[in-house]
Amino acid sequence: MLVYTIKRFFEMIIVFFLFLIISYLLFNAIPGNAFSSLLLNPLLPPETYQRTIETFGLDKPLFERIQLYIINFFKGDFGYSYIYYPRTPIELIAERLPRTLMLFSIVNVIAFYTGFLVGKILAWRRGSKSETWITIGSVFSYTVFYPWFALMMLWFFGYKMGWFPLGKFLVPEKWYDSPYSSDEIFYTLILFTTVTSVFLFLIFIFTRNIESLQSRRNSRFVGLIILFIISAIYWSNGEASLQRFYAADIAYHMILPTFTVTLVAFAGTALLTRTTMMEVLKDDYILTARAKGLSQKRIRDRHAARTALLPVVTSFIFTIITIIDGSVLTESIFSWPGMGQLILEAVTREDIPLAMASFSFIGILALIAHFIADISYAFLDPRIRVKVEN
Amino acid sequence: MSKILLEVKNLSMHYDTLEGNVEAVKNVSFNVNSGESFGLVGESGCGKTSVAMTLLQLQPENSIITEGSIKLDGKELVGLSENDLRKVRWDSISIVFQGAMNAWNPVIKIGEQIREAMREHYPQNSKQENINKINELFRMVGLDESISERFPHELSGGMKQRAVIALALSCDPKIIIADEPTTALDVVIQDQILNEIKKVQNLLGLSLIYISHDIAVIAEMTDKIAVMYAGSIVEMGPTKNVFTSPKHSYTRALLDSTPSIKGEKKKLRSLDGEPPSLIDKIDGCSFAPRCPDREISCNPTEHMSLIEIEPDHYVDVCSQGKI
Repeated sequence: MLVYTIKRFFEMIIVFFLFLIISYLLFNAIPGNAFSSLLLNPLLPPETYQRTIETFGLDKPLFERIQLYIINFFKGDFGYSYIYYPRTPIELIAERLPRTLMLFSIVNVIAFYTGFLVGKILAWRRGSKSETWITIGSVFSYTVFYPWFALMMLWFFGYKMGWFPLGKFLVPEKWYDSPYSSDEIFYTLILFTTVTSVFLFLIFIFTRNIESLQSRRNSRFVGLIILFIISAIYWSNGEASLQRFYAADIAYHMILPTFTVTLVAFAGTALLTRTTMMEVLKDDYILTARAKGLSQKRIRDRHAARTALLPVVTSFIFTIITIIDGSVLTESIFSWPGMGQLILEAVTREDIPLAMASFSFIGILALIAHFIADISYAFLDPRIRVKVEN
Repeated sequence: MSKILLEVKNLSMHYDTLEGNVEAVKNVSFNVNSGESFGLVGESGCGKTSVAMTLLQLQPENSIITEGSIKLDGKELVGLSENDLRKVRWDSISIVFQGAMNAWNPVIKIGEQIREAMREHYPQNSKQENINKINELFRMVGLDESISERFPHELSGGMKQRAVIALALSCDPKIIIADEPTTALDVVIQDQILNEIKKVQNLLGLSLIYISHDIAVIAEMTDKIAVMYAGSIVEMGPTKNVFTSPKHSYTRALLDSTPSIKGEKKKLRSLDGEPPSLIDKIDGCSFAPRCPDREISCNPTEHMSLIEIEPDHYVDVCSQGKI
C-alpha cells in the first residue's frame, strides 16, 4: 500500500510538471504579449515593470522562460497582478481559494452522500412509482442547462420568494462596525467545519468495532448529540459568541449556491449508483445475505451498496474536477468572490500572472483529487489492494 | 424412530414469465427426519434448486406458490412474513449454494461475513465468543483460523467451499441444504468436501438435504433419495432400495447413464429426446414421450401421484403397470 502510494505520488509530480509546461505554452500562444498589457497598465510603476521583465525573462527565448517560470513557481513568485496592482497573485489566491474550497467541498460531500443514498434506494425500490418519478427528476437535473437552472433558482428563491440573498458573500451594511474582517470570520467557519467533520469521522471509526448493531447505532447517536452540544457551547461562549452574528451572515449566503450546485451534482451520482446497484443485486452473495436472515436494510447498505460504491467513487472524482471548473459559472451567477470569479477577471482583462497562478492552483487541486481517488479506491476494494501490493 | 423435522406436502410452485407460467415444482411431498440425509436427484432444470429455494422461502419474486405447505419442526413456512422468516433462516435451516465462488461478498472479510449472521441470530454473544466459534468451525472443516481475516478472492475454490460450509454451520441449524456444493470443483477437492460434509453431519447430528445431478454422489451421501423429473418426484425411497431395485423407468435410465468402475464394461445408455418444456401444461405422465418402456402397459394420461410399493419406497403411479 505504501509503495503504491509513493508510486502514485511520483506519477503525480511528473504529470504536474507536464501540466505546468503545457499551461505555460498555452498562455504563450495567446495573441498579443505580456509587454503590451504591461505597458498599457497605468498602475504599474517603472521599477515593477523592469522587475517583472527580469523575473520572468520576458526578453529571453521561450525555453529559458519556461525554466524561469518553473523555478519561480516553486519560489512562489508570480510577479504582480496587473489589475489589482500592489497585490500579488498568491495573496489574491490565498484570499479567494478558501471561499471556493469551502463552498465546493460542502457541495461535494452533500452531493455524493445524497446521490449515493437516493441511488441505492432507487435500485432497491425498482419498479415502484416513486422510483420512476425520482429517476425522471434526476435525469432532468443531470441534463439541465446549468446556467439557466442556476438563474431560475436565483430568480425563484432569491427574488420571487425572497428567502435567500441575491448572490454575494455577505451583506455589507451588517459589517460596517464589525471588529472582524470577513476573512477572519470565514477562517473560523472553515476551522469549525473541518473540526466538526473530523469528529464525525472519528465517531464512525471508533464505533465500527462495536459488535452489537443496536449499541453501535446508539453510541453513534450519543456521539452526534455530544458533538452538537459541544458546538452549541462553542458558539455561545467567549469570542465566538460575538463572531456568531457575522458567521451566520456568511453561512446564509452560502445556502442557495450550495443547494443549486448540489441539485445538479447529485443526479449523476444517483443515476450511476442506481445502475451499478441493480447489477450487484443480481449477484449470488445478495442471495447468501438473504439466506443468512439479515435485515433488508443491512443487505442493502452493507452488501449491495458497499460493492456498488466502487465505480461510483471513480466517476465522482471526475465530477469533482468538473465542479471546480464549473465554479466559474456558479461564482459569476451567484457573485461569490472565489477562484472562479478571479480566473474570469484575470482572463478577460489579460492579467496573465494572475491567470497563470490561478490555473496552476486549480491544476494542483485536480491532481490532488485524482491522487486521493486512487488511494481511496485501493482502500475500498480489497481486490485492487492485493494487486497493488504485489 | 426419529421424528420428522421437515415436512413438505403437495408443494406446487410456478414462475410467472412473459411466455407463460413455468411449472417448476409440481405437487412435491417428502419428509426429512432429524439426523437423516435426504437426496434430491434429477437432470438440470427439473426443479431441484427451485425446491431448495422454496424451502428457505428465497424463491425469486416472480414465483408463486400455488399450494402446499412446508413445515419445519412443526412450524409452517409458506406465507410467513419476511421478518419471521429472517429468524428461521440460518437459525434452523441453512444452505450451501451451488456457486460457492460467488457466495461471498468480495469486499468483506470472510470472518466478518460469518459473524454477521451470528450477530443477527445471537445478538447477546460477545465478539470474542463469535470468533472462538468460527475458529472451532474452521478446524472442523479443515481450514486455518487465519482465513477469517482474508478476503474471498485470496482463497482457492475449495477453501471458499469449506468456508461456506463453516458459514452454513455457524448458527447451529437443524437442517442444511446442500445445493450441488461441489459442481465447480475438481474431483479430488470434490471428494474432500463431500467427506467434510458427511463428517460434520454425523458429528453434529444434522439433517441434510443433498441436491445433485450426480447420482453417484447422491448414493454415497444419502440415506433416502427422491428422483425428480420435470418438476415432480417420480420415485422416492431408501437409497439402497432405489439403487438396487429401481422401479421407475427414469430412475433406471439415470442409473444406466452412469459408468461404474467395478463390474463388466457395458455401453452407457442415454435417453432420446429432451426434458419437456415446463411452460406447456403437461397432462398425465410427463416422462411418457421419452420413456423407453412405454410399450409396457402403463397409462400415460393418468395424473402423476406416488404410491407406496414397498415400505417407504414410493413410485409414480404411472409406472405401476411395469411392476
